[in-house]
Amino acid sequence: MTSSADLLADLAADVDGVFLFSPTGSTYEDYREVDGESVVVVAPENDHDADRYVELPLEFDNVRDRIRFGVEGAMDHGFCADGDVLACAVGVFGDPIDAVIRTPVTESMHSGIYDLFANSRADPSVVRDVFDVAIELGKKGQKGKPVGALFVVGDAGKVMNKSRPLSYNPFEKSHVHVGDPIVNVMLKEFSRLDGAFVISDSGKIVSAYRYLEPGAEGVDIPKGLGARHMAGGAITRDTNAIAIVLSESDGLVRAFKRGQLILELDPEEY
Amino acid sequence: MIDASPTVTVESVLSAAVRAGPGTSPPLQSAGEAVRSALLSLPARLWLALGVVVLAAFLGYLVVRVNRRILVGAGVPETIEGTAFERTAREFGTSTVSLVANLSGYFIFILGLIVALTIARVEYIAAFWNRTAGFLPSLFLAVLVLIVGLVVGDKVELLIDERLRGVKLPQAGIVPAVAKWSVVFIAVLIALGQIGVDTAALVVLLGTYGFALVLFGGLAFRDLLASGAAGFYLLLEQPYSIGDRVRIGDTDGVVQEVNVFVTHVESDGAEYVVPNRQAFTEGVVRVRE
Repeated sequence: MTSSADLLADLAADVDGVFLFSPTGSTYEDYREVDGESVVVVAPENDHDADRYVELPLEFDNVRDRIRFGVEGAMDHGFCADGDVLACAVGVFGDPIDAVIRTPVTESMHSGIYDLFANSRADPSVVRDVFDVAIELGKKGQKGKPVGALFVVGDAGKVMNKSRPLSYNPFEKSHVHVGDPIVNVMLKEFSRLDGAFVISDSGKIVSAYRYLEPGAEGVDIPKGLGARHMAGGAITRDTNAIAIVLSESDGLVRAFKRGQLILELDPEEY
Repeated sequence: MIDASPTVTVESVLSAAVRAGPGTSPPLQSAGEAVRSALLSLPARLWLALGVVVLAAFLGYLVVRVNRRILVGAGVPETIEGTAFERTAREFGTSTVSLVANLSGYFIFILGLIVALTIARVEYIAAFWNRTAGFLPSLFLAVLVLIVGLVVGDKVELLIDERLRGVKLPQAGIVPAVAKWSVVFIAVLIALGQIGVDTAALVVLLGTYGFALVLFGGLAFRDLLASGAAGFYLLLEQPYSIGDRVRIGDTDGVVQEVNVFVTHVESDGAEYVVPNRQAFTEGVVRVRE
């Protein structure tokens, strides 16, 4: 007679690697002593100096996104390859690890979510800071009302050449970077302006109030999204920038790269 | 004549006590009377000296408390967290803040003690202590400078170490150590100067060291400094900004980034990192279609 524990053990049987998402120190130590299997740590910070480590720039609330990010990052580092089967130990409901998810590594699960952070023109920390700002803006809105915003990150020179000013640029001759403490407040105030924010590779806010003029043909974004998303998606096809869009109507934060919708986040969950 | 009086009274008290000890009928009363008379026979000067000592102890305690408050309020404990000096202090069950605070307290107490001794006119000791009293403030200052120097040196080492952590180069490890010992060296120099040790030779050493640092630093960082100076002008005045089409020397393209030292210019398929110095020496052409 088999017990339920034996049946559940099948979930983690014959895997090629174990992924630990944000493990505590003792958990990592326990797993490290298991030889024969390779342990990969996916966490915001490499607290335990793990050899195989993928940095998690955002604590993705969606577990699927988190695992995708970790697996894509590991593939990029060469920790796992197409055809491997992995056991991912993650915390679904809280901080400590409470679930094991078995997942095969396939090329098709390559959604580009890791690529968005790690291989964009802009620094990963800049992308993360812009996400933080967009999520913050989506959570609070402006004076309680939902706002929309469009951030175009990276390749600023080209973006500036493919856009025109709607009015005077409030960031002219300023040296404000996303991630500066004042930026949250400033962007909240400026978010009532129409147009896009342009942010350079190093995180400098180059301009606000930009009207983007990309060619929109061949941009494939889900139907029902408005002009802001279309403009954001299209500019990423024409340039090497990425676009992070906060929707005014449904309050979601979406990221575009190469004209494709890569990531969708709900600010309320962060 | 006055100096002799305390000893005499003490003896009389003792003899009174001895006499009262084996006595039968009213031992307690006679002893109490003897003590009272002994106390009364003490000269007022001694009382004053005692008062000064008590006052000094109280003031010292007050200064310790106030100093500790000020140091904690100024955020000193957080700032010096993790420095080697603080860690050593913690090992001995104390902390830098309480060390410094106690030091000032002791200083005031010892000063009060010397004043008390002077008031009490303990002749032979006074001659010695008067010199010590003159020496005490500079000694206090020297110890304070030394502690501050050690802590600041540790802190400098930590800060530079953190900045250099990204550079995974073993040789970079020498930079924080050099910076730390430079700070400590200067602190030791000041401290020795305070207590009057001749430091001329050490000052010459410091001068040589500083000169070498400036000379070689200037040589090594010449281009960087020139670019930095030009970069400040470019950032403040922004003669060209991100998105402009420019030509610097024979590089031609769109400005992607301007920072203190370099300008990133990108043309089709190539990104040039141009030192800002070059923008000044060769001039910038803004291309308009």
